[in-house]
Amino acid sequence: MNHDINIGKLQRNCFRQSKVPGEFMLQMRVPGAVIDAKHLSLVQHVAETWGNGKFHIGTRQTFSLPGIKYENIDAVNEYIKSYIEAIEVELCDVEMDDTDKGYPTIGARNTTACIGNQHCIKGNFDTTSLARKLEKLIFPSNYHIKMSVAGCPNDCSKAHFTDFGIIGIAKMEYDYGRCIGCGKCIDACQGHATRVLSKSQGKIIKDTCCCAGCGECATVCPTGAWTRNATKFYRVIIGGRAGKQYPRMGKMFLNWVTEDVIMGIIGNWQDFSAEILEHKPIYLHGGHLIDRAGYDRFKEMILEGVELNPESEVAERIYWAETEYRANIHVKPVNK
Amino acid sequence: MSYAVSIEKMDKVLKELKKKYRVYAPIRFEKRGRYSDTDLIRYAEIDSVKDVVYNEKSDFSPKEVIHPITQTLFHFTEYEYRESQIDDKEILIFAHPCDINGIKRLDTIFLENGNNEDVYYKRLRDKVKFVLMECQEDWDTCFCISMGSNQTDDYSLAIKFGEDQLSVEVKDNEFEGFFASEEEIDFTYKFVTANQEEVNLPKIDDKEMLKKVYDLKMWEDYNARCKDCGACTSACVTCSCFTTSDVIYSENGRVGERRRVWASCQHEDFTEMAGGHSFRNTPADRMRFRTLHKVYDYKERFGEEHMCVGCGRCTDRCNQLISFSKTINKLTEEVNRLQKEVN
Repeated sequence: MNHDINIGKLQRNCFRQSKVPGEFMLQMRVPGAVIDAKHLSLVQHVAETWGNGKFHIGTRQTFSLPGIKYENIDAVNEYIKSYIEAIEVELCDVEMDDTDKGYPTIGARNTTACIGNQHCIKGNFDTTSLARKLEKLIFPSNYHIKMSVAGCPNDCSKAHFTDFGIIGIAKMEYDYGRCIGCGKCIDACQGHATRVLSKSQGKIIKDTCCCAGCGECATVCPTGAWTRNATKFYRVIIGGRAGKQYPRMGKMFLNWVTEDVIMGIIGNWQDFSAEILEHKPIYLHGGHLIDRAGYDRFKEMILEGVELNPESEVAERIYWAETEYRANIHVKPVNK
Repeated sequence: MSYAVSIEKMDKVLKELKKKYRVYAPIRFEKRGRYSDTDLIRYAEIDSVKDVVYNEKSDFSPKEVIHPITQTLFHFTEYEYRESQIDDKEILIFAHPCDINGIKRLDTIFLENGNNEDVYYKRLRDKVKFVLMECQEDWDTCFCISMGSNQTDDYSLAIKFGEDQLSVEVKDNEFEGFFASEEEIDFTYKFVTANQEEVNLPKIDDKEMLKKVYDLKMWEDYNARCKDCGACTSACVTCSCFTTSDVIYSENGRVGERRRVWASCQHEDFTEMAGGHSFRNTPADRMRFRTLHKVYDYKERFGEEHMCVGCGRCTDRCNQLISFSKTINKLTEEVNRLQKEVN
């Protein structure tokens, strides 16, 4: 086949090039990874009508539909208009000029999330709702960003391996009078968390320095002596990434911040990216972008105009720990 | 006499009552539940009848009002001691019939067991009058009918909650004056007459059968299922166990207090004795003990009724989804089987 296809343009339209020339895989966004099951019939229709009948549960929790031929892309885009409107416009309140030409940008990737407290007994907040609010801040945009939202410090959604990982944490409150000193919370903290609880005079004492905010103590407490403060707090992990060169786990940037702070910093991401990339939205992992700016400059720009709640903690510096597949400078061949 | 009383009027009555009474009812603590974004409903003092949660079962029972989770008995210094004090206020508790019956069981334990009245219980209990709340629905874990605890006549007021109006039956003359100007209505409290959940109680006639019940295989299931958390006993209106200990104030090691704090027979250390000897070592042992205590031992000792009043809170609060009513029914099936084997 004699193809003449602008694959860059199609990629920005969320159609990914296949190894089969002329075929593409559509990646449909599911911000926060939960939607009504009724949308599956649309996904099925696209896969069976224009794709190869299969769909991949994308690694970023998209519906990925492979085997779509180039000539059918317009028809697919027209067909998924209702999906884009239902998810992006209605659920996420995203402002879009045009919804019948498919996804306008691929820069900001789909925000992944665990099921959170919609279902999970460990979850500290509604991950999907937060991801939908974030969607409005990052989409559509040609600037690259990957985010993951985790309901609790178990981090099942791998917030530690993405540009911005947002983890729900709970400020635990202790009712001395309701506590029967049974020590179930101590066991839970010992086994699952950061070992900050111990017993003194028949009651519990806590080393507040290192509480992970997981809420395990409340889950096991028989009398309701441990409860979550009703305000939702978050930990923000930055700069995690996979990739061929320097994969690394992200590090804690903020701890005990409120939703307003999250909205503030993510709201600043595009300006930060534009500044560092000299207004050219090239593809660069968020972690590399932070590296290029340097942590101090990143911190200054991303916190610009953001009012930190009094409980907030901000990393003074970050010690990255990469796995250096590219820069194994100390390893030499034996014969040299 | 019964009256139709508006919420506003009832709040005015409440304000008056609060001069003499501490008024306790089940109220909602938003987002304070075991899991994120779930609520906790437990007893606390109320400022408005609007706060009263009447159409959901409370997570915890009213027993904590008169059998506090943590209770200081006396304070001591090097050379003297002083008994803890309570204030002069009387106590009014909003409760469903099962809970009022449950508190009667606590009375037996604290006031009649071993011919020795527990003064710390008694001094609070003597203050209590009940406001009976109508059960507007039969929750699926309730089994009061099976336990014969669906009715009571121990109440001063009986209330049926409505959207913006209450039906109030005044049984205790002390309260008649508050409602004299209200519209008289024909209201009598309706006790629940049927539960979705029916429990068959085990018939254990002799010690020989009891021994066989001890050895039933069914208990072993709970070794894997029960996590010994004690949520069941904390929620139970009839569980009365506590541990007494001395607390020494850290600022002065010669001054402190003696206090008692709830204990749970489901906890590993409940039967631990000096030297580390313990005689209910597995969750199965502890589950067997609790079950038999609620539907055998107590009645064996006191004769009239079983300890369990079928409020079902132990089932509601179990985070391992162990149902107490199903456990009793399993036990009864096993006892019936053993009975047939004997015959």
